[in-house]
Amino acid sequence: MKTKKRNMWALFWAIVALLYFFVPLYGTLDFSLRMERGRLSLMAYQVVLSDPQFLASFQYSATMGLITILVSVLIFLPTIYWMYLRVPEARPLMEIITILPFIIPVIVFAFGLIRTFSGPPLQLTLTPFKTDILITIGYVIISMPYMYRAIDAGMRTIDVRSLTEAAQSLGSNWFQILYSVIFPNLRFAILSGSLIVFATVIGELILGDFLVRPALGPYMVQVGRDTAYQPAAMAMLSWGLTWICLGIIQFFGRGVNSQEIVSR
Amino acid sequence: MDYLELIHINKTFADTTVVHDFNLSAQQGEFISLLGPSGCGKTTTLRMVAGFEFPSSGTIKLNNKELTNTPPNKRNVGMVFQSYALFPNMSVAENIGYGLKIAGKSKEEINQRVTEMLSLIHMEDFGKRYPARLSGGQQQRVALARALAIRPHVLLLDEPLSALDAKIRVELRQEIRRIQQQLGITTIYVTHDQEEALSISDRIVVMNEGKIEQIGSSTEIYNFPQTEFVAKFVGQINLLPVDVVNPTEGVVRLGQQIIKAGQFGHLNGNPIRLAVRPEELDHGYVEGANNLSGKVESISYLGSIVRIRLDIEGHPVSMDVFNERKLSIPAVGEPYQVTFAVDACWLI
Repeated sequence: MKTKKRNMWALFWAIVALLYFFVPLYGTLDFSLRMERGRLSLMAYQVVLSDPQFLASFQYSATMGLITILVSVLIFLPTIYWMYLRVPEARPLMEIITILPFIIPVIVFAFGLIRTFSGPPLQLTLTPFKTDILITIGYVIISMPYMYRAIDAGMRTIDVRSLTEAAQSLGSNWFQILYSVIFPNLRFAILSGSLIVFATVIGELILGDFLVRPALGPYMVQVGRDTAYQPAAMAMLSWGLTWICLGIIQFFGRGVNSQEIVSR
Repeated sequence: MDYLELIHINKTFADTTVVHDFNLSAQQGEFISLLGPSGCGKTTTLRMVAGFEFPSSGTIKLNNKELTNTPPNKRNVGMVFQSYALFPNMSVAENIGYGLKIAGKSKEEINQRVTEMLSLIHMEDFGKRYPARLSGGQQQRVALARALAIRPHVLLLDEPLSALDAKIRVELRQEIRRIQQQLGITTIYVTHDQEEALSISDRIVVMNEGKIEQIGSSTEIYNFPQTEFVAKFVGQINLLPVDVVNPTEGVVRLGQQIIKAGQFGHLNGNPIRLAVRPEELDHGYVEGANNLSGKVESISYLGSIVRIRLDIEGHPVSMDVFNERKLSIPAVGEPYQVTFAVDACWLI
C-alpha cells in the first residue's frame, strides 16, 4: 500500500515536471506558427531563415563556436592530462580557477578585456580579425568551467597514469600518447564539453555586443525588440539545433562508456 | 655474463629514501622476483628499470649499455601492470599490435606477430573483442601479449595477478612462467605474495624498507633465511627467545628445556632467538633430536594442513601437520611433546 502511494506521488511529480518543460515549449511553438492571421504556417521560420543577417550572424557565431572548441580542447586537454599525471595536488586550485568565470560577471570581464587590449602593448581591437582573436579568448574563458569539468570527468573514468606508462613502454612519445590513447578515450567527454561550449558561444550576448561583432546573440536581442513571431521561431530553431548536437554526441560516443568502465 | 645490472641504485623522494644501495645482476633469460611488503621499494625499483622513475644515484645497465637516464619509450622494455592498462578504445588485436604500429612496422608484420601472440596466450579467437568484453584473467593475458609483441629486452611485471581471484592467479602464474621459459626472456616480477615468488622464480630478491635482505633461489630463501625479516616474511616460523648454554656447540635453553641448534654464528651475548619452521615439528620423542614439552593451546584447520598451537615454557609455538583422515587431533589443554631435528633449527 505504501509502495503504491509512493509510486503515485512519483508519477504526479513526473507529470508536473513534464508539463513544466513542455507547456512553455508548446506555447512557443504554437506562437511561432501563428504569424499568418487565422491559420498555422511556417512563415516566421521562412522570414528568419531568409534573413541574410540571421544567416550571417549564425555563421559567424557557429564559426567562433567551433574555433572556441578547438582552442579550448588544445588548451585544456594537455593541461588537465598533465595535472592528472604530474601534479594531482593542483586539482583543488584548478577547480577554483576554472570556476572564476561564474563568479565574475561577463560584463565586468568584457570591460576588462576592452580596457586591457584596446591600447598598447597588445592592441587587439583595431581590426575585425584581431577583435575576433580577442572575442575567441573571451569565449574560451567564459566557457572554461564547462570544458574543464567535462574533460576532468572523462579523465576520472580512465587510469591515466597506467595507460600513459603502458603506451610509453610500447615506444610512444607524448604526442602519440595524447593522440592515440588519451584523446580517443575522452571522446565522449570532449564531445559533451564541446556541445555546451558551442551552445554558450551561440547564445552569448555581451562579448559580441561590446566588441561589436556580428554574433547571433546581439542579433536575437535586436530581432526580439523589433518583431513578435520571429524570436519564437528562432528559439525553436535553437532548441532543434541543441537536439541535433545531442544526437551527434550520442552517435560518436556510442560504446565509449562500456569501454571506459573496464579501464579503471 | 650479466645481462641486466642495477649498480648501487638509490632513490629518494623529498627526504625519504625508498631504495637504498640496491645491487642486482640478472642473467639473460632469468626470472627474478622482487618480494617484500607494501612500501618496501620493490615497485619503485621496477619503475626505475622501466624508466618511469630515475635513480637519485647509481647505474642501470642492459647488455652492457647504460640506460640510467634513457626515457621509457627508448628502452624497449615490456611492462605488465596490476590494472592491466589495456587501451579501452582498441580491440585485443589493436592492443597487441600497438607497439609495433608505433615502431612503424608493416601491416603484414603486425598481423603476423599479433596472430603469433594470440596463439601464445591461447586466445586466437579474441582478436576482435574489446577489453570491456574480457574477464580479468583474459585482460592480463592480453596485456602480457602486448608487452611481449615488441620483443622487449626485458619483461617487467608489477603485481600482475593481484587483482585476480585465487584460482585464476595460480593458473596465470604458471602460464607466465611457461611463456617466459618458452621465449627465454629476462623477467623481473614484483609481488608481495611469497607463494607466487617461491613457485615461479629462478631467484628471489627479498626487500624491506628499501634494502635488499637476501637474494637467493626459492630453496635458499625458504630453508636458509639469512635475516630475521626473511625468516618471518617468507613462510611461517617460530622464533623463541633462548639463553645460550654452550656457545661453541650451539646449545641453548628455552626455560628449563635444552635445545641444540644446527646453525649458529658467533654468539656474542646479544639476545638470541631460535628459529624453527612449524612443518619441521613432529609429535613424539626422538632420541638425539630436540624434544620439547608443552601443552596444546588451540587447533586451526587450514585445509590441507592442521596448525596446532602449543604453549612451551610460556611461549607460543606452532606445529603444522598434514590433514589426513586418520590424523588424531589432541585436545586443547592436553600435555604435548614435540620433536625436531637439530639441523631443522638455527639461531638468529
